[in-house]
Amino acid sequence: MAETDDPRRGYHDIGGKDYGAIDPEVTEMKPWERQSTAISNALGAAGRHIYVTDESRRAREQMGEPLYSDLDYYERSTESMKMILVEKGLFTEEELETRMKEIGQRMAEARK
Amino acid sequence: MAEERETHDHDHDHDHDHDLTFQPNIEDSEAGRYELMTYAIRELLMEKGHLAPDELRAAQEKVESLQHSDGAKVIAKAWTDADFKNRLLEDGNAALAEVGVDAGAAKMTVVENTDDVQNVVVCTLCSCYPRAVLGMPPDWYRSKSYRSRVVIEPRQVLAEFGTDVPDDMTVRVHDSLADLRYLVIPRRPAGTDGWTEEQLAAIVTRDTMVGVANPTAS
Amino acid sequence: MSGNFAPGDTVQVISTHPPGHRRTPYYIRGKVGEIERVCGDFRNPEELAYGFDGLPKKTLYRVRFKQTDVWADYAGPESDTVDVDIYEHWLLPA
Repeated sequence: MAETDDPRRGYHDIGGKDYGAIDPEVTEMKPWERQSTAISNALGAAGRHIYVTDESRRAREQMGEPLYSDLDYYERSTESMKMILVEKGLFTEEELETRMKEIGQRMAEARK
Repeated sequence: MAEERETHDHDHDHDHDHDLTFQPNIEDSEAGRYELMTYAIRELLMEKGHLAPDELRAAQEKVESLQHSDGAKVIAKAWTDADFKNRLLEDGNAALAEVGVDAGAAKMTVVENTDDVQNVVVCTLCSCYPRAVLGMPPDWYRSKSYRSRVVIEPRQVLAEFGTDVPDDMTVRVHDSLADLRYLVIPRRPAGTDGWTEEQLAAIVTRDTMVGVANPTAS
Repeated sequence: MSGNFAPGDTVQVISTHPPGHRRTPYYIRGKVGEIERVCGDFRNPEELAYGFDGLPKKTLYRVRFKQTDVWADYAGPESDTVDVDIYEHWLLPA
């Protein structure tokens, strides 16, 4: 199959391309990664549907190729969750960035 | 996977180990950024009443409880109980419910390796994975390398995992994309006659249930 | 179940590339395969992805393709296959 770069093809849609050798190393899930996954699952639980799997997939396809490729799996899923929750008006980007700075400062304080 | 993992883990550990006045640098540390983002999302959702502490706790426990050993028990039972195996192949969700596994809304599709067929599972569009029976997907399953290549050159990819499939066997790749989740029943290896389900489950690794490897009796 | 296709039917995946969230991978568009099984009716992921309810449901099929039909240079026996789950509105009789 000719590997032409069809501009209509999504950057996530990679079946048949060649991204090289497979690294068999398996890493442990970090606590924050587990928490991010749990938040996402809780929001998508039956009866809630604040954030569903299909929306998270769409967000991955919308975040742009550079970010998609730069982030690892759980970073990507956290970014996707943020995109959809902001889109739905649950909080704003500004609120989130402010809160992240505050939490960073709290964590730094706790380490002193 | 290297292109996705980069060096974030290492940088982050480095901060913890050597810099006690760790200042999360939002601009420079991507791992730190998404860890902070997770905590900030949790706080904002709770303050605004979109997420209750007990909901999060239950979801967290659920994530922690998902392990491939559940899948291994299912396979061991299928190896020793032909009726159960047939029910699994017929209706994965219902058969899993019999043994206390809730496969959720996805349709569990169970496929069986035989003397003639080797099945292997991928999701080329994202990383769909049967979490209910196998836990979270391993790094390689999520990697662009695996996702891109196993669908076009499965035999080469399997060989890289140490699994050589002879040409007189059929390789079936399953691209699970939307509402299906696949579980592979590996071939029961020779030399396991009379083994208990516990003994059998111990040789059923995660990779054998994705189809990139085959179990051995040793 | 509302499906128009039955196991054994030959189908062709629509060869089109609309923008938006799609669950039919690029490599399989336009290819001809055989219905392996009818998987049931599911909410349409192309709608769910944008916050809609995904109704009416769409019938989902597992379609089996010969690898040698999918990839011109496939390096393996004729019997090798790839099974792809595809929604009814992406399939045509062939």
